[in-house]
Amino acid sequence: MALAYQERREELIAGYLARTDPADLDRGGLHDVAVNFAQGTNLEWARARLKALTAKPTGAMFWMYPMALVMKAGAPHLNDQDWAHIREAWRTYFPYRGDTENHWLMYYASLYLAAEHWPDLPGSEWYNGKTSAENRAEAKEYLLKTFQITSAYGRGEYDSPNYIDPYVSAMALLASWCQDPELRHQAEMMLNYDLLDFAVENLDGVYGGAHSRIYPKHAVQPALAASTSLAWLLWGQGEMQLNGASLLVSLSGYRPPAILERIATDREEPYVHRELKRTRWRMRHKGPDAIKIEGHDTVPVYKYSYVDPDYLLGSSQGGLLQPIQQQTWSMIWHEEEPLGKSNTFFALHPYYSELEGTMYFGADWDTVVDLIARSKVDYNSPDKLMSGSPHEQIVQHESAIVGLYDIPAGTQFPHLNTFFSRDLTNRVEDPSGWIFAQGGPTYIAYRPFVTGEWRPTDWTGLLAGGAGAWISSGHTEWGTGHQVYVSEAPKNGYVTQIANVSDFESFEAFQAAIKALPLSFALSPQATATFTTLDGATITATYGETPKVDNQPVDYANWPLFDGPFAQSARGSNQLTMLHDDTSQVLDFRQSTNAIHVSPAQR
Amino acid sequence: MKPTQRILILGALVLSSFSLSAQPPELLFTAAAFTKAQKNSSIPTDAGIFVRDPEKGWVPFGPKIQQVASAAVDPSDPSRIFLACGNGIVRSLDSGKTWRLVTDWRVSDVTAIVIDPTNGQTIYAASGWGIVRSLDGGESWESVDQGLPEQFSRTIAIDPQNPRRLLVGTAGGLFVSDNGADSWQRVTDVPAVHVLRLRHGVKQPKVWLAVTEGRGAWRSTDSGKSWHPTAPAVAAANLYACAVDPSNAQNLAIGGWGTGVYTSSDGGKSWQHRPTGLPSQNVLTLTYDPSTGRLWVGTFEEGTAWSDDAGQTWNGGGLEGSLTNDLGFLPLTPVDRQ
Repeated sequence: MALAYQERREELIAGYLARTDPADLDRGGLHDVAVNFAQGTNLEWARARLKALTAKPTGAMFWMYPMALVMKAGAPHLNDQDWAHIREAWRTYFPYRGDTENHWLMYYASLYLAAEHWPDLPGSEWYNGKTSAENRAEAKEYLLKTFQITSAYGRGEYDSPNYIDPYVSAMALLASWCQDPELRHQAEMMLNYDLLDFAVENLDGVYGGAHSRIYPKHAVQPALAASTSLAWLLWGQGEMQLNGASLLVSLSGYRPPAILERIATDREEPYVHRELKRTRWRMRHKGPDAIKIEGHDTVPVYKYSYVDPDYLLGSSQGGLLQPIQQQTWSMIWHEEEPLGKSNTFFALHPYYSELEGTMYFGADWDTVVDLIARSKVDYNSPDKLMSGSPHEQIVQHESAIVGLYDIPAGTQFPHLNTFFSRDLTNRVEDPSGWIFAQGGPTYIAYRPFVTGEWRPTDWTGLLAGGAGAWISSGHTEWGTGHQVYVSEAPKNGYVTQIANVSDFESFEAFQAAIKALPLSFALSPQATATFTTLDGATITATYGETPKVDNQPVDYANWPLFDGPFAQSARGSNQLTMLHDDTSQVLDFRQSTNAIHVSPAQR
Repeated sequence: MKPTQRILILGALVLSSFSLSAQPPELLFTAAAFTKAQKNSSIPTDAGIFVRDPEKGWVPFGPKIQQVASAAVDPSDPSRIFLACGNGIVRSLDSGKTWRLVTDWRVSDVTAIVIDPTNGQTIYAASGWGIVRSLDGGESWESVDQGLPEQFSRTIAIDPQNPRRLLVGTAGGLFVSDNGADSWQRVTDVPAVHVLRLRHGVKQPKVWLAVTEGRGAWRSTDSGKSWHPTAPAVAAANLYACAVDPSNAQNLAIGGWGTGVYTSSDGGKSWQHRPTGLPSQNVLTLTYDPSTGRLWVGTFEEGTAWSDDAGQTWNGGGLEGSLTNDLGFLPLTPVDRQ
């Protein structure tokens, strides 16, 4: 039986304390410092580390938010000298505000709390020369505006199993320690909003579906992501993993609403869940589908997830929806203990380009790919396991996905990578062209339109060498033993059908049922496919055209912000209703003075 | 020239030098990020403004900020310094002793900044999200994008003969404003591609250069009213750098990705390729020393170099490992970082 929330908090805190080595004054980050100050343990060590970490700070907002945690959670045991070190750092260290949503939230949440802690300092006492009051006012305005945009048009860096960490951290800091009632209330709602966003696409504590940003480690072994640590802490799913956001929540006074746990864990019946998100702000090459929100260009992201007790299959429509780490679609299957399992299946077109880089970053055409690859070393690799592509179109209906591709001549990598986990069993290549496999309680049928070849996932050694340093640690445990099916053709596609093992008498019966399904496809003049799913729906898709399900065009124009049995929200509403059985709870972000400007208005 | 004219000019020069006696000498500066040593990190090992101290060499100036694209000094008051930063616009009113971020969250990814030479209260800045203007010395800012179909911009310049007239290079081409940035009109002579750098002459202020992404270099001799392609050898190159010799606008330089440096000594009628001896052929920035005519170049991560013979020979200038966003001369006095 899962531990109660309070016990899990204490267990996580104890886990952090246990990893503290008071004899080693060279190791330990601000999270470790915070938990020791909060608990009054290893104070000599904590003081030494605090002094070191405030002497020459680095990391910008990644320094700011755990520093705010030290200041708030650790306050009872910080002495005057500790405060002097902290104060001096805030006076002299000029952190970069970053280039994306999670950066900005961390930056302004931390700045707000610091400016609230020292409420009346002049500009000379702050790195940016602004007074405490000015910093508070600016941070609050930014945060409330962001909450407005998010609750009306979705997050730009949506559904990231990794970057939920900074979202939760920033919001939990404010929800727990902010003294401003309005900001505190709104931040707590935003925290619940982000957790609901995860809960509805959660299977056994694993974040499923399409993701804006995912690292190789998390793509291959989804339970390693920060989201799973949070699911354990908040909802008792899976096993404990030490994680900064979980620690921060544990040290805070945050209490998740009970309805979230019910939503996260109720998987009695399969359901369809849809969400509207948006891309990060586009600086250049905004494209014909762009809309402008508050003067910034973005493109809608249409998410669709089918959540079954045995698996979660989720997708977005394809295209360049994020600059670097997009997972356009994925399937995860149920595992009693998902940690250590590669319980996932997905395909992608490995794409990178100067166009994509300059669409989202301010760097120059000739340097942007190189500079991205300094920290995301797999970005320009043909072997990469997450990628957006402008040459990809995805349509999903419940348990089936059709992917179509039109890769122009001259594109760097004209092939598709389809990931076959080492934890799949019973893999069969059928003469019909279907590839069948079993993943836990699910059967997978995959029909590539162009025959490919099998390659190991780690033949370049690329992931072992970096792909984000810390994020690739333990590569031999999670990164080896898998295979990728590589299919190369300028016009290409596939069909994926997932099914419950329990619905068939045998693996062979599943294969026979799949082979009996009507499927037609062609690759010229455009990739096109018509597939009747196991449930009897017919998906018709031609690259470049609006796909149809049972002859009805997919209605992207009226895609809701949230639509499923557990969450409802209309586009532009600033209201989200969380639902479970006969219980509901509304997160209402409406403000009378904070209208969001969107153009064209009809979008 | 008549003797009376000579006397008047001499008198003007004396007055000018007298009135500017408090102005520090112009030093070479760069806005740079040390990216070459980055390993598994998106954060440069050092960044900010660096000035070339005659005695100490390159020294940091102002706050250490991760993303700094350029700097500007008020021509009428050199104690007023503005930095174009990722965080916004950072200003000093005391020659760099103290700094203040004078923009809020609405302004970020600032790429270039210019100050009205006749009124230091009027300031314009280009950014990844459009053009902003301040009419009160940087205390408040407003977006001035009317007429710009693309907001992304990394270069902006004031017409030295008419401070209400500005040119801006955007991702959608070159645009001009004749009303202090209230509105913008496209300069149709230049293709509607990303204009990466704009420079003009000082003694010959009607001479302008513009360089583009993929469509080469463009030259104007009528203050940017009409433009003509120049340097045909690099007509399809991504050119990030251009410079006009302040003392003699016949001397021009351009450079870009993989091109090395091209120089002209006849106002752009002919160009000479000057790649030999450069630390890298990937050129990001160029500038002429206003007092000596020395040509400086900044490369992608391989440091700077200088030449006293229009690029025939190059000498190492330091800053190895840096990506130079801007290179120029400003009246800055090095101040120890806090």
